[in-house]
Amino acid sequence: MSILLEQNQDVPVLLLGNEAIARGALEAGISVASGYPGTPSSEIIESLSRVATERNLYVEWSSNEKVALEVAAAASFAQLRALCAMKQNGVNVASDFLLHLAGSGTRGGLVLVSAEDPGAISSVNEGESRYFAKMIEFPLLEPGDFQEAKDMTKWAFELSEQLRSLVMIRSVTRLSHASGNVRLGRLPENQAKAEFRYGGFILDPLEGLITSAPVVYKHAQQQLKLSKAREIFENSPFNTYTGPEKPELLIISCSTCALYGREAIHLLGLEDRVGLLKLGTTWPLPPNLVRNALSRAERILFIEEVAPFLEENIKVLAAEKATEVGIKIFHGKNDGSIPSVGELNPDIVIAAICTIMGIEYTAMDPQYEKKAQAASFARAPNRELTFCPGCPHRASFWSIHNALQMDNRKGFVCGDIGCYTLALLPCGYSTVKTLHSMGSGTGIASGFGKLGQFGLDQPVLAVCGDSTFFASIVPALTNAVHQRSNITLVILDNSGTAMTGFQPHPGLAVNAMGSQVPKVDIVKLCEAMGAKVELQDPFELEQTRETLNRLMEDPDGVKILVLRQICGLSPEKRAKKKYDMRIDEFLCLGENCGCNRLCTRIFQCPGLVWNKEKGKTLIDEVICAGCGVCASICPQGAIKSEEAA
Amino acid sequence: MDDSSGKMGQAELRKKVLDTELCTGCGACIGLCPYQATYRDQTIQLHQCDLNTGMCYAFCPRTPSDLDSLRKSFFDPLEATPEIGPVRGFYICRAADEGNRSRAQHGGTVTALISLALQEGFIDSAVVSESAEGFRQQSVTISDPAEVGKRGKSKLIVSHTVGEFNRISRGGSGKIGVVATPCQAFALAKMRLKPVEAKDNNIDKLQLVIGLFCGWALDWRKFTELLKNKTNLNEVTGMDIPPGKKTVEIYTKNETISLTGEEIDPCIRPACRYCVDTTAEFSDISVGSARLPESWSETRSWNQLIVRTSRGQKLLDLARRQGILVFREVPEGNLDELKKAAWEKKKLSLRRLIEKSGSEDNLLYLDHRDPVISRLLC
Repeated sequence: MSILLEQNQDVPVLLLGNEAIARGALEAGISVASGYPGTPSSEIIESLSRVATERNLYVEWSSNEKVALEVAAAASFAQLRALCAMKQNGVNVASDFLLHLAGSGTRGGLVLVSAEDPGAISSVNEGESRYFAKMIEFPLLEPGDFQEAKDMTKWAFELSEQLRSLVMIRSVTRLSHASGNVRLGRLPENQAKAEFRYGGFILDPLEGLITSAPVVYKHAQQQLKLSKAREIFENSPFNTYTGPEKPELLIISCSTCALYGREAIHLLGLEDRVGLLKLGTTWPLPPNLVRNALSRAERILFIEEVAPFLEENIKVLAAEKATEVGIKIFHGKNDGSIPSVGELNPDIVIAAICTIMGIEYTAMDPQYEKKAQAASFARAPNRELTFCPGCPHRASFWSIHNALQMDNRKGFVCGDIGCYTLALLPCGYSTVKTLHSMGSGTGIASGFGKLGQFGLDQPVLAVCGDSTFFASIVPALTNAVHQRSNITLVILDNSGTAMTGFQPHPGLAVNAMGSQVPKVDIVKLCEAMGAKVELQDPFELEQTRETLNRLMEDPDGVKILVLRQICGLSPEKRAKKKYDMRIDEFLCLGENCGCNRLCTRIFQCPGLVWNKEKGKTLIDEVICAGCGVCASICPQGAIKSEEAA
Repeated sequence: MDDSSGKMGQAELRKKVLDTELCTGCGACIGLCPYQATYRDQTIQLHQCDLNTGMCYAFCPRTPSDLDSLRKSFFDPLEATPEIGPVRGFYICRAADEGNRSRAQHGGTVTALISLALQEGFIDSAVVSESAEGFRQQSVTISDPAEVGKRGKSKLIVSHTVGEFNRISRGGSGKIGVVATPCQAFALAKMRLKPVEAKDNNIDKLQLVIGLFCGWALDWRKFTELLKNKTNLNEVTGMDIPPGKKTVEIYTKNETISLTGEEIDPCIRPACRYCVDTTAEFSDISVGSARLPESWSETRSWNQLIVRTSRGQKLLDLARRQGILVFREVPEGNLDELKKAAWEKKKLSLRRLIEKSGSEDNLLYLDHRDPVISRLLC
């Protein structure tokens, strides 16, 4: 039974941050949850989908974040409570609708969870969605620990209904993907009934039309909602102060950075000298509460990730209330006390406090630190990011790389987001040369493909996955076809949204709830657009390479090659090997001229291991997925494959 | 001229030969390992090999070579000529069978000799060049003497013949003969000296090299771009370089298209401008198109032929005895004219090399101290 269904409220349970958020939503009695997979947010929808039947929920992996928010909004318009979850850049995708949703208002409680990735542990950006709350004008909450993750989420639905506005909850990796103790609340009986009412006066928020027009009027309504929120936030239990009445230094923080602040104060033994204001309601700011806090100290230090959102908003308040609070000395990102990029941690906060307060502190003896570093470098093997054994992308990029080399016109690949993003690196033979957001590879390629008139004669390729295809490739591809852009799009179809944990997408016959659903056929969709489409198994290396060379030489319009082979980790495969692989050591040339370790040095499947003592390759039977592809690349035919029993 | 690192591997091959446009597309570096490949007529480095020395560099005809050693190893020094290499005998001949001649480029001599060599067991298989789709040339290995005739025509575009030799010699291929351009014959000669330790002695399977006279080859991509504007590539039946004028004639089913020197020049493979071997000096027999006092329409069906080695002589004598080839008298001064033309070509190429390197002492892949080269420099 999922821990999310636990009814016992007496004993705290260990929950992942994302599970705590999901539990909070369940305790609020949501009916609908939607999202698009994105680290670190994915477990929110995943865990809800696992209890969908028991809790009478509709849970959906939408084709992209904008659609996900629209789906959740529909539930809200029909008087149901709905949650929508995504990662930080997903909010960018949803932002056009978000802008209009903030204008139109909501009915049933609607909470948008943005789980963000400071330090870009699993992203190619370090973006922030908090500014959307300020720019588009709706309330923003930031849980500071696991209990708050649950409690805030539950309360956010009440707040949303009080204000008739969506509410954003912002989490980060160290909350979403860490675990902590949570005291559970009651799971309600979910009896919500959906009805969309529109027959009343057009401007009636519950009975009228749902639209962001008339714009200036609705915008003014948003201002009223914000005012109300400010009032509510003045007394919120999620804003706490700990420390002396008049600290020498006041730390203002939010999210998990508040925990780093607490830890730093404790390690430095400064509980009597440094105060910590942890804000959970970070937009709009409750002015009186902030004013009172600012009045406590002359020196203020802001610790937050990633951008100086809180810092700059509070500075504005301080300026407005200058006659009341006095002149302050501010430290944070803008004066360099805290780095402007990357994740924070207690060490960074300790260093900042020490500098500001003129304190000496060493975490450990420098000699010991040196030894520890040397030891870790010596013993930790240098591991590069790579594709899994059996990954079809390895085979695809092997062929793409070789085709580009053979074509010899300095062709290149515009990359996209998914496991195949790794093709930037040697594991994908460094094939990808541009990388931005979901779907941008094809959009950029569409642009490159029209530069022939300015003398660009390099073949232009783009890659995308099957999930990415539905999320954001279609408009870019339609553009390329219609504009007759000279490009080759390679769709890497491994039958799932693999990078984020193998969630389903519209190309599959099953959905988030495990129901059988119609699948949208990628090949037919591309053909319907009028592109030239071919389908190939990427494990057939030579055929794939030949096809690619032929397509790259066709100068007319869009060519699409769908490389279809299931992900090496797909649950469908049940970890079953197709082949048993072994090395014929007599044939293996190893480091000698004629091979020079092609398989372990260049192809680099983790299942192939270089045995230094013997000077031969060996197969790691535990890691090898038995796909058989390596047998085709050995120049000596020393890699043997036999059909597995 | 040597790389100060002293390394002679794939990276040096790239720096000294591929990046400097010296690569002739002979294929010597192909088929030895998975790092080098050929596509159309280009030599491609698929992946980076980090070995310090390798077969690719050692076999390449455009890496520094000891020409004198090669000459002394395979040929009788008494027969050496500085202009056109060793000359044991010089002949004007052609295939006796008119049918064979009509399918060939000129006199059908090479076709006749290769067929004979296969038939009589001089060789078990032959590596030759054949037409491929899209106006390409590709190298193939054939063992049936009857198949040779189908591959008679020339398209003036290189195929990676030595690469095909590398490939086929790894199997149980018996004795192999190769129809080679001068650069290919040169590469095969370098390989015969066994410059690097190899696991096997596949080069020993090479038993016959018939070299082709060659002035230059065309770059496939540039040439087909030019030709596409003039005719349908699939309708081309052959092409030739009439002597004297700098034109190329393209023959289609319906017409003959004449391409001017201005049109052809940018399509010439850059490496050919630095070549000092027009007559395939490192082969057993070299064959080219004859130069005779008669009209071109008569002359074009004759070959001029140089025998350089005893096994070349053996094959030629057999061809004469069996009536496979017919001979005619060599006109007076004919050999001298050939030597003169070859000598001028060598001088021109050396001038270009000096221009490219910026120094008379740096001839890139040639040694200015070599006895023949140094004479050219005076």
